[in-house]
Amino acid sequence: MITVYGRATSSNVQLVMWMLGELGLDYQRLDYGHNFGGTDTEEYRVMNPMGRVPVMREPQEGGADLIMFESGAIARYLAGRYGKAPFWPDDPLERARLDVWTEWTKVTFAAAFAQPIFWAMLNHPKGQGGDAVRDAAQALKPLARILNYRISEGPWLAGPDFTFADVWAGHLLYRYNVLNFAKAETPSLDIYYSRLKRRPAFAEHVMVDFEVLRLV
Amino acid sequence: MIKIWGRASSSNVQTVMWAAAELGLKVQRIDWGGAFGGNDDPEFRAMNPNGLIPVMKDGDTVIWESPAIVRYLGAKYGDETFWPKDPGDRAKLDMWAEWAKSSLSPEIIYKVFWQLVRTGAADRDMGAVRSGAAALAALMPRLDARLAGGDYLGGGGLSFADILIGHVLYRYMTLDFEKADTPRLDAYYRRLTERPAYAEHVMVSYESLRVV
Repeated sequence: MITVYGRATSSNVQLVMWMLGELGLDYQRLDYGHNFGGTDTEEYRVMNPMGRVPVMREPQEGGADLIMFESGAIARYLAGRYGKAPFWPDDPLERARLDVWTEWTKVTFAAAFAQPIFWAMLNHPKGQGGDAVRDAAQALKPLARILNYRISEGPWLAGPDFTFADVWAGHLLYRYNVLNFAKAETPSLDIYYSRLKRRPAFAEHVMVDFEVLRLV
Repeated sequence: MIKIWGRASSSNVQTVMWAAAELGLKVQRIDWGGAFGGNDDPEFRAMNPNGLIPVMKDGDTVIWESPAIVRYLGAKYGDETFWPKDPGDRAKLDMWAEWAKSSLSPEIIYKVFWQLVRTGAADRDMGAVRSGAAALAALMPRLDARLAGGDYLGGGGLSFADILIGHVLYRYMTLDFEKADTPRLDAYYRRLTERPAYAEHVMVSYESLRVV
């Protein structure tokens, strides 16, 4: 059985957990990181020298356990190993058209949202974050519009079928939607989010209360 | 033929060009972005709504985001060494490639490179350089330890992960700042520099980007 090391409140853990849920795989998740600690031990550092969550460990038939870090790589592994078309298209070009959005979510959208908005608001005494968050919110607007345009009629990122790329594109949208900051008008993205909320694996693994992360 | 839009001096373009060259693919590169402009042309935005380089077109399909392009080229044209068929074998490489993109590259490019090359001396934020250097001093020894297993990340031969990690090493190695002691990484970098495709596509002078 797959073991995931990482607290349920980490967005990177959520990416992996939601992927596991969508693929219908058995797993156990162990609380590690942030308020739970446990990532500075020698045993943990052997699994992930960076000392961060998540780590995934999976027994392999006739060989050593597969131990992975980096949520994006873990989720890609799970989709590639256990996903079937159309969730994980066989054709490299079909897959690449979706893979673009996994990279974009991680590198562009997450970078503009996680630290400058999510953590800045959670660490702010009044939960607002002041001018810096206002500027970051402004900078996020064109990115939300790009996602909105990409989804358009949807219902999913690739059109009719829910694919691995939706797991990346959607894994930050709970936080994005419930935090109170100025957002772009994105009707397609709003409908997309309401569709995601009806997916049991999204509700279980991504719609996780993050109040415990608030510093003040 | 595969078309790639992007100036040769962009580290993200270099990733893609190096990968294509290692795979023996014929590509046509069109100077785009930076001093060449074109990022906001409607036709270009129709290909990549972010307006960023590189953009690749193979047949009628447009792909952007350099790691996604490298993964595509690997899956489509790579042999077993470059792109292992088994997802588990690939995963052991992919996690380091992902780490290079998410953890390593931002410290090199957005902190050190940006301040030392893309920012004039008067505006330079040496605090950012020191912060990047400190982060890299912690990160690079982990990569150094990982390289104990062989000449390349996968052992014997070059893989897609070496491309995604190695493409920032030219800048890392040639920029003048305090670095950790990493003998295995230094030897790895020397091996990369001996590869003709690396020399041609990655060891590209960045002096044209320098702001004085």
